[in-house]
Amino acid sequence: MILIAFVLVSVLSLVIIAATRSHRQMNTVCITQALIFAALAAYVVIFQQVPVVSFLVGSQYFFIDHLGLFEVLIATVIFACAAIYARGYVEGLLESGELEKGSLKLFYAAWALLLLVIVLAFFSDNLALFWIFAELTTIISAMLIAILAARENIDAAIKYIFVASVSMLFAFVGFIFLFEISRVSLGAGTLNWTVLMQHATAFPPGMMIASFVLVFVGFAAKSGIFPFHTWLPEAHAKAPSAVSAILSGVLLNVGIYGIIRVYAIVRQTTAVATIAPMLSVFGILTISIAALSMLPQKNLKKLVAFSSVENMGIMLVGLAISTPIALFWVLFHIMAHSFTKASLFFSSGILHRQYRSRFSSDAADEIRDVFRLQPLAAWGIILGGLAIIGMPPFPIFFSEFFILMQLGAVSLWVLGVMLILLFIAAGGLGYFVLTTFTQVSEPKTSSDIEPYRTPASMKVPTIFLLVLLLVVGIFLPTSGMEFLNQIVTELKF
Amino acid sequence: MIETAIVVAIIRILFVCIIITAAYIISTRNLLSVVSVYALQSLTLVCIALALYSLEGSIVLLAIAVVTFISKVIIIPYFIATIQEKIRIKRDIEFHYLNPTTSLLISMALMLVIYMALARIVQGTPARENLFFFGAVLGISLMLMGMMVTFSRKRAITKVLGFLSMENGVLLFGMFVTELPFIIEFLIIIDLIILVILTTILSVGIDSTLEDYHKRLHRFHLLEESEEVS
Repeated sequence: MILIAFVLVSVLSLVIIAATRSHRQMNTVCITQALIFAALAAYVVIFQQVPVVSFLVGSQYFFIDHLGLFEVLIATVIFACAAIYARGYVEGLLESGELEKGSLKLFYAAWALLLLVIVLAFFSDNLALFWIFAELTTIISAMLIAILAARENIDAAIKYIFVASVSMLFAFVGFIFLFEISRVSLGAGTLNWTVLMQHATAFPPGMMIASFVLVFVGFAAKSGIFPFHTWLPEAHAKAPSAVSAILSGVLLNVGIYGIIRVYAIVRQTTAVATIAPMLSVFGILTISIAALSMLPQKNLKKLVAFSSVENMGIMLVGLAISTPIALFWVLFHIMAHSFTKASLFFSSGILHRQYRSRFSSDAADEIRDVFRLQPLAAWGIILGGLAIIGMPPFPIFFSEFFILMQLGAVSLWVLGVMLILLFIAAGGLGYFVLTTFTQVSEPKTSSDIEPYRTPASMKVPTIFLLVLLLVVGIFLPTSGMEFLNQIVTELKF
Repeated sequence: MIETAIVVAIIRILFVCIIITAAYIISTRNLLSVVSVYALQSLTLVCIALALYSLEGSIVLLAIAVVTFISKVIIIPYFIATIQEKIRIKRDIEFHYLNPTTSLLISMALMLVIYMALARIVQGTPARENLFFFGAVLGISLMLMGMMVTFSRKRAITKVLGFLSMENGVLLFGMFVTELPFIIEFLIIIDLIILVILTTILSVGIDSTLEDYHKRLHRFHLLEESEEVS
């Protein structure tokens, strides 16, 4: 029944969005939808026996387990925050004429649909079904990028669609392989993740390697892993900031989620001896490309986008270590990264509104007098930046620390390389903040910049996420840790 | 029932047809004919599905044939041709990185590599019939050739055709390697149609200046007239 509730709420939201003409109403609908989704997910966590068995759920198509719930909880929190943020942000886009009033309906309809599709993707037991939903998330989010109808947005959206969809076709061929593997060893072919997990030990390793490599190509592109990351900085920098937060905080997770699911199957075969080093190589390459691109970066949103690429690399390396503790902290890192990155994009969105006239989304930012004009956003960037490079007491400190500890047990050399790369990435962010935030114009000439009056709806989610991060980082709630442990057990690590 | 040997021979001939269409899509500069060749390629796939059906009698293959015919031989080519007429691009002469001759040479090399790679992978598993092995090789080759088109052409609308041809390769591969449940094939086609619609609309935007784009969107009734927003 729970799945029907999700679908019904979304259908209702879509109907209201189609019927109304006011921006505020559409926005309220999207906030409400995300909040109801979060409440439903929380209800399942607290009151239901996970994995849930009810109508449709627990059949061969859908299931609800801890990993899916975990991802859905992250997604709904970020969607709710982003929807609140969009209330003020989209208003600004409308005023400046960047967003046509006629496209507003399309924007919010795509928004509501995207949340539903993402939730369904995380609850899909059948891998092919998951593939379809993941593919739909690409298309719908590309719509959200292209909605601004500036030529560079359309360019970015088209690049995103082609890189992601072409790679996802490879993933599909990988799933065909997997289906054939299961058909040979089980008698009847299946793409059911739970069934595959039960029988994984019997699968032939050679075919598993071929299958995993193909699947990896697809989901690597979705999560911005080198060498398929090329679409990511463009798309994230050019999308409206509320959408960037979703792209970075939720959609990248869809890719990593796919990799984790299939890796859990591979890990039970001997193929893991080949796959794990491959993952770590791609992880390190991803981190190095991202770190080196961050260093000379002069555009804030692109900088933040490259930092997402870097964090995806960290998750991949953590996954490659494939000890239970490493997986635990990879999951923790997924959550911490999502919240931090969303908050960072919210802050950069405020700065983008302030200095919009002065830079296109490709050019270097001309940020001046930032503490006088936008003190909140400036502190948001500084605190968010500290959080993303892994300073205590922010949660990323713990995940990076323990992943690195686990890595050190495997290879000290790789650990050294990782540390240098992380340091470069942190340096890139720090250098940007130091050079741009300290630019102050002469007292007499400062009147030429009108301060952008940031609406409260844009401030609240930015602060909320930072506070949430601090709370998680300082208290590390035991019930949450218990939850993550259950995911690790379910993935048979 | 037709004799098995004849059906196998027919399938082999259809394989050749597929290679020819793929080579044509890679090398031609005339956009309108790319669309019709794509329709032809899909039709060849339908024929292969039917031939396989007569060989194996699996009802899924028949369903695949019907759905492929409706979507890929009729709806998608018609839609793209309509859009092309509206934006008046007849030729796509701009290539990134690769010119047609090089692409053809590369695709020949690719086929060889895939043949060898697949032969190694299949080695361990129960021996498969020759025909099915060739189908799989051809499917992957078609996919990679489509990918080359997607990344070597500049216009978004040609990229879409490359992507579509890739997807044909996946379908071919799927048909010969295993028996996928029909629902999966069907969902892929739905996904394909949405993708084609979105990218072609966006490509209208790419291939024109911005003001022009809005006018065109209005002409297609894709954008509502500006409304009062409170």
